[in-house]
Amino acid sequence: MPILTPTAATGARSVPQEMTYVDPVHQVMPDERDEFLAETDLNGPFVADLLSDMLAHERCGAQLYRSLAGRTNSPILGKKYEHFGKETTEHVEILQQLVGRLGGDPMYVSPAARATTKAGTGLLESTFLLTGSVDLMTQELVMLDAVLLAEAKDHANWSCLASLADSLPEGNVRTAFVEAVEHVEPQEDEHFGWASDMRCKLISAQATSRTMQVAGETAEKVIARIKRWLG
Amino acid sequence: MAFNPLEQKGVPVDDQLRSWSELNVEPYDKKAVDPYTRTRVILMNGTEVESINFSHQFARHTDNLDLKRKLAMGRRIDQQQQKAVNGLNPGDQTPLETTLGYEQVAVDLTAWLARHEPDPQLKMALDFALLEDFDHLYRYANLYELLYGGRADAITDHLTEVMPGRPTFVEHRHPYDDVRPHYETHTVDPLSRLHVMTIVSGEQQTMNFYMNHGTDWIEPIARGLYAEIAMIEEQHVTHYESLLDPLDSWIANWVFHEYNEVYLYWSMLQNETDDRIKALWELHCNMEIGQLQVACDAMRQYEGREPADLLPPSLPEVPVTFEPNKAYVRDLLAATVDLRADGIQYVELDDLPKDHRYFRYQDTVNKGGAPSEMVIDQARESQGEYRDETDGEHPIADLRPQTVR
Repeated sequence: MPILTPTAATGARSVPQEMTYVDPVHQVMPDERDEFLAETDLNGPFVADLLSDMLAHERCGAQLYRSLAGRTNSPILGKKYEHFGKETTEHVEILQQLVGRLGGDPMYVSPAARATTKAGTGLLESTFLLTGSVDLMTQELVMLDAVLLAEAKDHANWSCLASLADSLPEGNVRTAFVEAVEHVEPQEDEHFGWASDMRCKLISAQATSRTMQVAGETAEKVIARIKRWLG
Repeated sequence: MAFNPLEQKGVPVDDQLRSWSELNVEPYDKKAVDPYTRTRVILMNGTEVESINFSHQFARHTDNLDLKRKLAMGRRIDQQQQKAVNGLNPGDQTPLETTLGYEQVAVDLTAWLARHEPDPQLKMALDFALLEDFDHLYRYANLYELLYGGRADAITDHLTEVMPGRPTFVEHRHPYDDVRPHYETHTVDPLSRLHVMTIVSGEQQTMNFYMNHGTDWIEPIARGLYAEIAMIEEQHVTHYESLLDPLDSWIANWVFHEYNEVYLYWSMLQNETDDRIKALWELHCNMEIGQLQVACDAMRQYEGREPADLLPPSLPEVPVTFEPNKAYVRDLLAATVDLRADGIQYVELDDLPKDHRYFRYQDTVNKGGAPSEMVIDQARESQGEYRDETDGEHPIADLRPQTVR
């Protein structure tokens, strides 16, 4: 089952840093990190941190899509966000399984994952904390921008993982990586491609058509009126 | 029985507004009140103030009309709750008597939290500051007798001992040495998060109270003592707030605040001996459940997250309890009175390098003497030093009573 918010109750563990204290019972010890992928030529501790980072990004992505699906004013975008959100949640599960197959802990939250979570939180907050100072059309673009930025890193993550898998010798580790990549990477291509294209379409439509300006203003008025009715 | 606030109905926020007459509550009788009822009032007042200030900060970081309105509504209700709670303090309870109550909170709340804290590092942070607040009670108790001839046990009722802790004048340290590492939000025990949020609220309220009431006196010794101890409370707020993980989002922090308020009102309710005040804790507990629901809905709507994924399945089984902690404090005193802070570490005084910034800071602020020492000197020369050592002599020989010089 995909865990979107690792907590002590779901078995989250981490490593202490200068300003991050982790209770010893929830710490991933150095020798455990050293043992990860020790039978390969890979830098196990780094890969453990990287996979945790990727998981954090997918988790943030799933939350982003869930949030946007409920807040977009466009049914077309809403359906897409819902669909991609489901796939992103599956990616969380696939990554969790990959980490497990490799002998790691899917509930490990690496320092890199914390940094990524902060970035993801900021990206998500950018879609709702300033809604009072943007019009509705811009708001749709802000949400799409967040998707594009998130998918850009997501796409880069999986491309990188694919390259890493290619460089590995035949064996269980390579197979685990390849199977995950083969399932996810085409979807990431689609997510990133769609976000780029849709953003461009929205921008072009607004930039080149006076009708869109009128339509946008009309939509604003209609929605403002509905909001007034609703109090 | 497990109490999960997410499964409770509570009072809907729209039904929570009250009239002025409901907020203008009848104060308790300061002579008859259970000392721990007074401490509960002080703690819950501080909890509401923290909630209000957090909400204001959040509101200043968004122009989302929906969120701003929900925050404004919650804040107004918190303000009403704060008035109803703080209004229980009677007008004939002087600021210094209230101060003694604040320090009783600081001692018995901190000690209780430390005793129940599962994380050793967070327990250490609580223990460290506990001995400092314990000393403040002794200094204020002596000021009380010096100025008014009053005895602090009229407030504490011997439930909390009054004697020197880590002496206040040695508590002054460079600001860099008050900053601590924080817990990790994914791995933290839910109880630890509640403990840290609670102690931040309590210490912050104490800091604010001393900042504002330090000038209520004509006597320079009183004004000086409040200024000095207010600065330690600034240190303590810095110390405790740095334990919070900055990774949590605005909305997650909102949810955690509301959850902690439910936990605290529920806790106060379990132990209250005054039926009238107990009914207030119960009402506020149900109101906080309604406010928690609003924060949780915002989390679902804006963050796409299910609050149940983030929160524990139920409140901690043990309510936060005001009770005597005499043996705990005595043992801690004996073991750690000479601890100091060096950066993010705790060290023995003897292990601090001679050129450490601690000594330079001490020389600067204590130049000309510390009011916390002067008040004891004056007490000894006047009516004699006040102590309330109910469980035997002081565990540290050097801190036992001295004869007048």
